[in-house]
This record gives sequence, C-alpha cells and structure tokens, in this order.
Amino acid sequence: MGDLLAVQNITQVFGTRKPTFAVDDVSFRMPETASIVNLVGESGSGKSTIARIILGLSRPKSGEVTYKGMSIFTRNGGWQRQFRCECQAVFQDPYSAYNPFYKIERVLKVSIRKFKLVNNPPEAKARIEESLRAVDLRPEEILGKYPHQLSGGQRQRVMLARIHLIRPRLIIADEPVSMVDAGMRATVLNILMEFQARYNISSLFITHDLSTARYLGGEIIILYQGRIVERGETICVTSQPLHPYAQLLISSIPAPDPDKRWRETLQFAPEAKSSQSQNRERCLYAERCLHVMEVCWKERPPLRTSPSQDASWQVACHLYGGNP
Amino acid sequence: MTTILRVCDLSVGLTGRSSIIQVLSNVNLEVEAGEILGVVGESGCGKSTLVVAVLNLLELPQILQAGEVEFIPANGKPQDLLKLTGEALRQFRWRKMAYIPQGSMNALNPVLRVRKQMIETLTQHGMTEREANEQVQLALQMVHLKQDVLDLYSHELSGGMRQRVIIATAISMHPVVLIADEPTTALDVVTQRLILQELARICRELGITIILVSHDMGVMAQIADRLAVMYAGRIVEIGAINEVFKSSLHPYTQELIASIPNQSGEHVEGLAGEAPGPWNYPPGCRFHPRCPSVMEICRQQVPPSVEQRPAHWVSCHLFRNEEGSNG
Repeated sequence: MGDLLAVQNITQVFGTRKPTFAVDDVSFRMPETASIVNLVGESGSGKSTIARIILGLSRPKSGEVTYKGMSIFTRNGGWQRQFRCECQAVFQDPYSAYNPFYKIERVLKVSIRKFKLVNNPPEAKARIEESLRAVDLRPEEILGKYPHQLSGGQRQRVMLARIHLIRPRLIIADEPVSMVDAGMRATVLNILMEFQARYNISSLFITHDLSTARYLGGEIIILYQGRIVERGETICVTSQPLHPYAQLLISSIPAPDPDKRWRETLQFAPEAKSSQSQNRERCLYAERCLHVMEVCWKERPPLRTSPSQDASWQVACHLYGGNP
Repeated sequence: MTTILRVCDLSVGLTGRSSIIQVLSNVNLEVEAGEILGVVGESGCGKSTLVVAVLNLLELPQILQAGEVEFIPANGKPQDLLKLTGEALRQFRWRKMAYIPQGSMNALNPVLRVRKQMIETLTQHGMTEREANEQVQLALQMVHLKQDVLDLYSHELSGGMRQRVIIATAISMHPVVLIADEPTTALDVVTQRLILQELARICRELGITIILVSHDMGVMAQIADRLAVMYAGRIVEIGAINEVFKSSLHPYTQELIASIPNQSGEHVEGLAGEAPGPWNYPPGCRFHPRCPSVMEICRQQVPPSVEQRPAHWVSCHLFRNEEGSNG
C-alpha cells in the first residue's frame, strides 16, 4: 500500500549570509491507514516550518513532499483543490484563525461553498448544526456570534466542527491545545481521536507538550534544531528515551504530582564556541550533551535503528553507533 | 510561619455602560513569608485580576469594590496597599513587591538595549546609577546570563533569555514579594524547567516570597508549596500542595486534576461544560451547574470557606462548618 504522505529529505534554510537551517534533512511517512504522528521539539526546532511546508505554504529549499504519490507542489488545479480539501490545518491560536468581522459560521459556510459539499442552503444549515453537535457545541449558542464572544475552547471546537464537516484524510494540527484551558484540553483531544477512528483521518500533531503526545499515542518524532534526533512508537520513546536530548525533554515534563518533583537542578547550556557552532557536520546537541565524545564534534550522527532492533525506533546519536 | 500579605474580602468589578459586573468576589488569602504560593485556575477565572488588584495596579474599567490588601513586613507596621497613592505607592513597587506580568517576554522595549531598561527601572526606584549597575550585574549572574546581554536588543535574545532578563530585573531590588503571572507559559519544557528551578532557588536564597500564577497544574505540582484554586472569581480551595493534589476536597479541584492528560496515557475525560464568565455567574456556588454532586442548597447559597483539615480550606456545601461561616 502506498503512503498517504511522504516527506523526503526536506531542508529549509532561511537567510543567505548567515543561513539558519530551520529544517535539516527530515524524512518521514504517514501510511494510508489512519495514524497519528507527533512532531515534538522546543521552540525553533523546525516543527512549524515542517507543517507550513506540508500545507504548501512555503517551499522547501530541497527535498520533496508527496501526497498519495504526487508532489504537493504539482501545478494542477483540480489536484490542488482536492489536496486542499483532503489536507486540513488546525492552528494553535483559535482566535487569529477567524476574521473578527465575520460571524463564526462563516468558516463553516465558506468550506461548504468552496468544496461544494452540499447544494442547497437548508441542507447546508443542517450539516453545520450536525457538525457543531459532533463537537459538543450547541448550535443555538454558537451561530450568529462573533469570534470574540466565544471562549478559546469553543473557538477551537468550531475549528474541529469544520474538520467534521469537510472530513479530510489528513489533519495538520499545529499546537491545537496549547491555548486551551487544562479542563478543556482533554475534551479537544478526545474529539480529535474520535474523528480519527470514525472517519479514518490521519493526523500530524505538532506540539511541544509531551504529555499531549503521550496521551495521543501513535508515532513520535523528536526534533532538535531542525533534525530528527529520535523517532519511534510514542509509548516506547517516551518511556525509555535513548537520545540524551530526548531524555532531558521527557524528564522535564512537569508531572502533575507533587511526589514526582524534578530531582536534579538543570544547568544552563554553555554557549558554543563560534568555530564549533558554524560547523554543521556534527551532532548539534554536542555542547549541551552530558555524554559528549570526540566523535560528536566531527561527524553528524545518522539515524540508526535502536539497540532494541525494533526497526521503527531510530535514534541519531553516536552513543548508539558501533553496532554492526 | 508569619504572614507577609493578607488579602481580605477583595472584590473587583468591571464598569460597563450601565452596570458594574463583579469579576472577583470576596477573595481571602494569606501569603506566608518565604513560601511559593501557587494560584491556579482556568483562563478568565480572575487569576490575573487578583494579582493586579493586589499590586494596586487596577485600571478602568476594573474598579476596586471592596477589600484590603495588608502588607505585613517583618519589622514594621502593616500597611494597606490599596490605600497607598502617588510617591508612596511608587516607592513600594519593585522595592517591596515586584511583578513579572503575563507575556513579559514581550515586555522589553525593542528600541532600547537591555542595559538601559534594567538600570532605568532601578534608578527610577531610588538607586544611584552605580548601585544599579552593581545590582544588575549580580542579578544577571543569578539567572546565569552573561554580561554581554546588557548591550543587546530584545530581538537578539531567545524567549528564555528575555524571560530571564525580566526575572533578573524583578529580583535586582531584592523585593519582599515577587508576583509572577504565567512566567513560563510560552516556553518549551526544558527552558520552563530551567527558569522555574532558577526562580525557586533564587527566591529561597534571598528569602523572597513568590505568588506564582499559572493554569498548568504540572508546574504547580513541581514548585509550589501551597496552592489556591480559583473558579469563576472565587477561591474555592486552598491548602498545602500535597493535600490539594492527593486529597482534594472541592469537586472542581478533583475534576481539574482528573482531566490532566497523564503520563501513562490513560483516557481522561475533560470537564463538561464551560466556565461561566463574569456576566453570567450563576447564583449560589458558581460551580453548581457543572458539579457532579450538586445539591439544592448549592443553587441558592454561596458556600462559606471552611477549614476542613488543618490549613486546608474549601468553599463547598459538602463540607459544612457547624458553627457557621467566616468567609
């Protein structure tokens, strides 16, 4: 079976005189069957740049993104229209996704019109109400209101109602719950997971919150400065991270349990020497790594299968080199 | 433990065209010297309004309706902060009580170098230029920033560095109380951990009391000593962090803790319904429309604050104080 989405060696560089590698040789695939891929990393690790590339909002410097085997940059009107319908985004800030001058239902009506989902207005109204109910909203409380009259959780759920309406194959969700209240977070995630199972939707879930990723399950890809440092089943990687950066990241999640406080105090990273920092043919985590070796400064660690021999679990670290 | 700050019956309203809407109702709070007090709640529950009111920073349309904020220094007579005005108030701020506002990463002026902003804050509050220079350098060391950042502009710093500059400025006058409103919300987990640990360490060293406002229960569990849970403009529960997490009394606190996506990845239910806004606070207990153990009395009477266990207060009709109410 082919892949739904294949990201092949994409690299994105910003700036020419002092180039910044936002994304550096990243590849991953999402299968045809409904699946979840979590893309995790700190701010500046290239998560959102990858999302923008997949959505076709920016072109990578090199590499290719294919959707059902076709490059997403194909200039074919019909194909593009279909891709735009089947691949939908949910953004972080549910406020800036709306035009404040229009009523809430406009985002739903425009979707119906653009993608020609239904033909007559009464049916459109019925579909909109059905979708709002599917995300636990009462249509009479939502319709006719302006974005500022709704709470963050409600606005984000209207965005999910839009997903319900369009039924895409792929959702690119960029930090969809980071601006939603703690109590509502689980609700939004549960709705997403329910859609996923019921309508066979795959999601690429971008987050800096590892507990969200752990809640969703699926596959996880941990990024550091634009490179994949570790990937694998979310359960495996989050319970036994291999890469030193992944270990730091996972141990830093503030556990909501006063008995499980952070034990050791972290030290701030020393600044890299300028000669070292310009060289990218090395492990970029070397200056912060506790297990740094000579080779880390000289060679870029490739993504290798983990010592557990589980082919889907890969890590880019010289500590796990050497296996034949 | 000695009390350093006492908030008594504080109510804050929002003035509208024809009426006043109450956002904060009869908040009572005691902050003990040297502790880290967490204030947690959903957005819109009045956390930020509470700290702004405590700092006497309310601006129209927010107005103070009632209440006192008593500052009790170790050797001195108590002062009502809300009665301070003009120069006395200005001298009080930063020297006695510093504030890290929400989104303070973006509080730096983009056209001034860091040095100018940090030093100006100190000289404006009574330090000489030379003292200010020394203090700024010490403060930067405490947050592990190099002196070089003084000559940079805010856009040249990362989010975490900007946040550390703000923390350094806030602690450089050795305030007695530091109020931090969501200090790490926009940062990634590693930076968040660095900053929180640093903040806790510095304040323990300097004996600074912290009021930490956040919506993140994880952050609270990690560094707070005591936790106050707010819901719809009221404090519903307050107690030692372990007590509140392990044996929470108020149904809202219980549901809030149960709704956190936990590390084992088990399925959790979100809180049903929406938190009411100040314009539609229900009568009686404000949580009653969402409460699983709602009773008839909850719809009519505001539950009093009861000390159910030693130093663990709750406002819920499930816990009745026979002698009557005090809050």
